[in-house]
Amino acid sequence: MKRLRVWLIRLGAMFRKKRHEAELSAELESHLQLHIEDNLRAGMTPYEARREALMKLGGVEQAKEAHRDRRGLPLLETVWQDVRYATRTLAMRPGFAIVAVLTLAVGIGATTAVFSVVDRVLFRSLPYPQDDRLVSYGVRAPFEGIEFMLAPEYAVLRRQPNPFESMTSLAPGGADCDITEQNPVRMSCAVVESTFLATFGIHPIMGRDFTAEDDRPGAPQVALISFGLWRSRFGGDLKVVGRELSVNAKPLEIVGVLPAGFEMPNLAKVDMLLPQVLDEAALDRNNPRVLLRAFARLKPSLTIEQATAQLQPWFRDSLRFVPPQFRAEVSLRVRSLRNRQTADSRVSAWALLGAVVTVLLLACVNVTNLLLVRAAGRQRELAVRAALGASRARLVRQALTESLLLAIVGGLLGCGFAYMLLKVFLAIAPDGIVRLDQASLDLRVLLFCVAVSFLAGVIFGIAPALNGPAAEWLAGRASSAAGRGWFRQGLVGAQIAFSIILLAGAGLLLRSLWNLQNIPIGLDAQYVVAVQISLADHRYPDNARRLAFFQELETKMGRLPGGGLLALSDTLPPSGGMQATFFASIEVPGRPRPSQGTGGMVGWRMVTPSYFEVLGIPIVRGRGFTESDRSLAERPVILSEALAARLFPGEDPCGEMMRFTAFDRQGPWRTVVGVARNVKNDGLTTEGDPEFYIPWKDDAESYVGRGFALFRTSLSESSIVSWTRSQVTEIDPTVPLEFATMNTRVEKLAARPRFNAVLLSTFAGIGVVLAALGIYGVVSFYASQRSKEIGVRMALGATAAGISRMVLLSIWKWTLAGTIVGLAGAWFGAKLVESLLFGVRPHDPLLLGMAVVVLLVVALLAAWAPALRAAKVDPMVVLRYE
Amino acid sequence: MVLKTLESMGPLHGYGIARRIEQTSGDLLSVNYGTLYPALLKLEQEGYIESEWGFSDNNRKAKFYKLTRAGKKQLDRETRDWRQTQEILAKFLGAREQTS
Repeated sequence: MKRLRVWLIRLGAMFRKKRHEAELSAELESHLQLHIEDNLRAGMTPYEARREALMKLGGVEQAKEAHRDRRGLPLLETVWQDVRYATRTLAMRPGFAIVAVLTLAVGIGATTAVFSVVDRVLFRSLPYPQDDRLVSYGVRAPFEGIEFMLAPEYAVLRRQPNPFESMTSLAPGGADCDITEQNPVRMSCAVVESTFLATFGIHPIMGRDFTAEDDRPGAPQVALISFGLWRSRFGGDLKVVGRELSVNAKPLEIVGVLPAGFEMPNLAKVDMLLPQVLDEAALDRNNPRVLLRAFARLKPSLTIEQATAQLQPWFRDSLRFVPPQFRAEVSLRVRSLRNRQTADSRVSAWALLGAVVTVLLLACVNVTNLLLVRAAGRQRELAVRAALGASRARLVRQALTESLLLAIVGGLLGCGFAYMLLKVFLAIAPDGIVRLDQASLDLRVLLFCVAVSFLAGVIFGIAPALNGPAAEWLAGRASSAAGRGWFRQGLVGAQIAFSIILLAGAGLLLRSLWNLQNIPIGLDAQYVVAVQISLADHRYPDNARRLAFFQELETKMGRLPGGGLLALSDTLPPSGGMQATFFASIEVPGRPRPSQGTGGMVGWRMVTPSYFEVLGIPIVRGRGFTESDRSLAERPVILSEALAARLFPGEDPCGEMMRFTAFDRQGPWRTVVGVARNVKNDGLTTEGDPEFYIPWKDDAESYVGRGFALFRTSLSESSIVSWTRSQVTEIDPTVPLEFATMNTRVEKLAARPRFNAVLLSTFAGIGVVLAALGIYGVVSFYASQRSKEIGVRMALGATAAGISRMVLLSIWKWTLAGTIVGLAGAWFGAKLVESLLFGVRPHDPLLLGMAVVVLLVVALLAAWAPALRAAKVDPMVVLRYE
Repeated sequence: MVLKTLESMGPLHGYGIARRIEQTSGDLLSVNYGTLYPALLKLEQEGYIESEWGFSDNNRKAKFYKLTRAGKKQLDRETRDWRQTQEILAKFLGAREQTS
């Protein structure tokens, strides 16, 4: 308290200097007078009296100085002084200041923008208390990428001692739900166990959490609504708890409101939470049909490894349900929630962060170079100041003040730049980058920006600052600068190394992107528009009604204006998500099924006969489907080439029979009628699964609630959209439709690699420009430092070409060293981004070579201009100057 | 010392304080008067003394310092502390003398 008071007074004193000065002078004056008078009384002569008084005081100026130090805050004052001085000197040479500040702004801005994006993925804690104890766990099997639990096994684990403080589960995929009262609207609902919020440590802001009661079968229907829904639909009504709401044509009671920042652990959009109502008694252990996603909070101080170990007995026990030949392919997985959410974004996040930090370092190195060059020009000034009594520390502080000033101005501009850059990122970013939409320049990111600026300031400022003055500089012969040359050239080497790493990385990603774009996907996406249609369960509870809808749709839409072709299918290539079965479950008469393993997955789709024509998938053998295949009596199947080759190697599969036998259920025998060309069906990067097609039946046998209508048409997308909307509205206005051209759907798959490649190439481009600037600066400096020597050499008969060569050769050592270090860095860097690559080896010699060549050419060009200039030196001018 | 002087003498100017300290210490402590002023400033910043301009005995304009209430408390506290230290030291030294 007292300290603060003193500090404030001292701070305040800095601003009323004049008054304090006058007062101090008067006080000392009166002191002297009093003393002199006393001395006079004691019998001294006036001269002696004054002398004695002054001696006792220890000198007026010294006394004043001591007083001043105590009065204000000397440290702050010198800082302020330094800042003003630095501003003045920088303003004197605006060119230097502008270049330095802009370079820094680019570096800091890019770093900040990228940090704001990857922070959410890599560093920031999830919005749950003690989020490091939250895990996702379950069983991994070939047919499902994410770990899952079978409901009966989950119930068993819940009863046993387990490593969790609290466990919970939710139904995968959530559920569509419609508010079916005034202003009907489709919402996203999540179906969760009653322990859900408690496990994640979230409390409703109003009302209550679910209780075990709500999970009992036959309990009254209740729901928790999201903050957004509460605000938008209920206008933030404080009496919303206890309200009745009609959802899916059934009444339920709102029992609570979720907090504003609530987030589902699987990052799904959610408007409403509904209790899962898992009837344990009804769960048949021998018919494990219900899948769950399970989450838990670990007991304190338990690691994930320990938890996994503790779960092993339970896992081994649960394997009983897996047919013995598949067991090897099933495993237990426990991973942190963050890992589950960001698994596939991590590598690209690190790669981007690494790239942008490299750019920042390049920027810092460049500014260091600029400062060094400038320092060389200011040696004399520094030497004078040192001679006049400035301490070494004081000079270092002054130099650091200057670089920090540059860094801060650069940082401020950089923050603005980051803001724009982030906008660009968000505009060009594809879907599916985790939490990208949450990226923003908030306080945390701004603090990061400030920290980076300071760090940058110290990094690029420290070397020039420590460049202490030597007495001989007073002579004005800046000869010792040459001794510092190794440092400056070392910086050039570092720049070249960084740039090669960036270039190599960008090259790899661009090459991958090129490969991705040119993959044959096996279908012709031109002129095809896809409409996704999903029917709500409560409006279409049974197959008969769904069939009726799609039949009406087909008749109405078959009459496409302007001609064109319509097809229906339940799923679409080339993204995944089709129905699938084990290869081992396909039975061919007279052929033994594999006894070990699942044999991988085989996908299948239901399609109408025109599907192959609409998507341009050639039938390479046999025939396609016909309208008559759609009757129940017919059981035809069309195989993909890959599946045909596996099932009937070296034979004509047409006319062969096959059926599916999964677990204990047997499907009907089907006849192979044709073979279709392979189509990418699980993204672009994977080989894809073998697949087969069965006809979309005119019968309520197995209708699904979701499907795609495909048009091959020359009409524009917008006219298709409006026409389809009007047609579907006539059947049922509540059915939601999603439109996309087939091209867009395919493009989307390459969107993330494209995003990565674009960003990394941009950074690499910036890096190369910075490196070029650095080399240019260093060579120019070298040439100007040695202009006298060059003049002498030329006077003695050196040719212009020889001089150019000499100047160019001055950096070759460091260029070479930088290249080698850069190659080594690129080698390691490539390993790290391997998972982002496609169709290119991480150590592709061609790409590495190209990166090196590009850089060497740039280096040569950057050094060329100053070398030429050096060769044009007129010896007469130089020697006369001498 | 400054506080004690001000307590016993009442408001005093810088020169007076310096002289007084010199005198009380029997000229044992000969202060450099110049260092007194920063010390006074420090005490003033800490709120133990306050200053105002006035006239000295022989009618010279001078800045007079006087003790504030906080200063008085501080003085009491320091005096007490000093006594305590002294007592402890005395006991300690006394004990040493006895054992030796």
